[in-house]
Amino acid sequence: MSLKTKDLIIGYHSPLLHVEDFTLDTGNIYAIVGRNGSGKSTFLKTLTKQIQAISGNVFIHKKAISTIPLQNFPKYISFVPSRFPDTEYIRVEEFIAMGRNPYTNFFGSLTREDLKKINHSLHLLNISHLKGRFTTELSDGEKQLVAIARSLTQSTPYILLDEPTAFLDYPNKQNVFQLLKRISIQENICVLLSSHDLEQVIKITSKFLLVNKEDKIIHFENSIQQVEDIVSKIFI
Amino acid sequence: MKYATRYILFLTLLVLLPFLAFVHLSIGQVDFSIEEFFSSFLMSGENQMKDIVLQKIRIPRMLMALLSGASLSLAGLLMQTLFRNPLAGPYVLGINSGASLFVALSIMTGIPFFTTDLSLVSGALIGAFLFGMLVLFFAKIVKNQISLLLIGLMLGSFTSAIVAFIQSVSPSEDLKIFTLWGLGSLQKVNIEQIPYIFMFIWIGITSALLIIKSLNAIVLGEQHAKLLGINVSNTRFIIILITAVLTGITTAFCGPISFVGLAVPNLTRILFKTQQHKILIPGTLLIGGIFILFCDIIIKLLENHFIIPINVLTSLIGAPMVIWLVLKRLK
Repeated sequence: MSLKTKDLIIGYHSPLLHVEDFTLDTGNIYAIVGRNGSGKSTFLKTLTKQIQAISGNVFIHKKAISTIPLQNFPKYISFVPSRFPDTEYIRVEEFIAMGRNPYTNFFGSLTREDLKKINHSLHLLNISHLKGRFTTELSDGEKQLVAIARSLTQSTPYILLDEPTAFLDYPNKQNVFQLLKRISIQENICVLLSSHDLEQVIKITSKFLLVNKEDKIIHFENSIQQVEDIVSKIFI
Repeated sequence: MKYATRYILFLTLLVLLPFLAFVHLSIGQVDFSIEEFFSSFLMSGENQMKDIVLQKIRIPRMLMALLSGASLSLAGLLMQTLFRNPLAGPYVLGINSGASLFVALSIMTGIPFFTTDLSLVSGALIGAFLFGMLVLFFAKIVKNQISLLLIGLMLGSFTSAIVAFIQSVSPSEDLKIFTLWGLGSLQKVNIEQIPYIFMFIWIGITSALLIIKSLNAIVLGEQHAKLLGINVSNTRFIIILITAVLTGITTAFCGPISFVGLAVPNLTRILFKTQQHKILIPGTLLIGGIFILFCDIIIKLLENHFIIPINVLTSLIGAPMVIWLVLKRLK
């Protein structure tokens, strides 16, 4: 099982970045790093079909994502946006249950199987005690865990996260990164996250997608030494 | 625990509704004894005059109170869900104005197509739908919710100006009809029209129940709904269509009734503390019906002294409620 790109060029309406062909495998964790505004979010949004690629293709299990119908797509890739919705009166378990949306019937009723998945995610992220709380009452760290739990509940082979630690303090950052690492191995899921917390990211993965704004290119790198060299070039 | 409170709330509402309906029916110029009331209710009364009062005057008015309250409140709930804004509603967003404009055209311009009873209804429906689409169009351009509300208010002002212009050039008989319509009234409906109104509202309610899954996802915002596989643009269109039917039909028969659509869904959400539409929809329908029924009971009690139009009373109660809501959110 893998996610591949071929001759991908991304951007809003006009080309922004060329993406060198790469393959992401399940059971691994990947990080896309680059400066603010370099196109990390655009890249993630393209992979999750929120915006169209300028040209080229993304393949999941050899299927082009453009051919996967909208209502089935959330069974392949789940996405955790950088901001948590501020809607009031939604309980944590209800929010997480929505991850089952692509699988539930016309009225959205939950089966026993769905409830099992929900409890499993709550358990994996150690947030069972938050179940009955309103999402608006949670701390930023807790919100992020709840958002990740919903993605897990979606039972997708790929989870993409946009700046999952942007609003978190140091201990929460560490916690989220460690959890993601554990999940990717335990559940055989591919995690791809964008971040500019390089020091933290290096602790959990050595597989990087680097956005080089100068050369307008995203390329893949998996040797730490190379990454450090290139990163220092990009960031300094 | 939380489910228990829900059941108690629903039970209270389900008891309150028929109780208020009964109180509503029993108020008026003609006094009924309990026996007379029930025999007239079953159309077997000995006093024909009393039969007619109950069957032809009081029952239609009571039913119309329930139907208008329920449908306007549901329309408000759908707007609030669609725009993710508790201050949205058919009135604030100018959907009422669309209906009013077309009714003004129908009553006062004497354009042949607009002059029958049926065309008043279709006019209100078309007006509500057109303005719904207009708001939707603006909503796609402006992402900011405050701007959208302002645009809705401006739409309202703009159409009021057009309506005022039509009024200024209309003969006084037409003007009087329109002004009375504009004050809102639950008494113009006769018992034969009720089934048709009920049918339209029933279609609106059923359609809303059929898109519960999408509604529950859309409260999280467009991005989240799409990520969960919901077809957002279809859902939007359906919501506008349902809102137009609900708002258009009540506005046609009762005149514009403001603030119900804004206040009731908020009250429902605060009481039930949920965003699950399988709870919110029945809750809003019940509370909406009860709200108008209650307002109309006050009107009936004061009828001997002065007549308050329904639109005036709902504004008197609704406007302070909305201010309270805004203040509460600022905290």
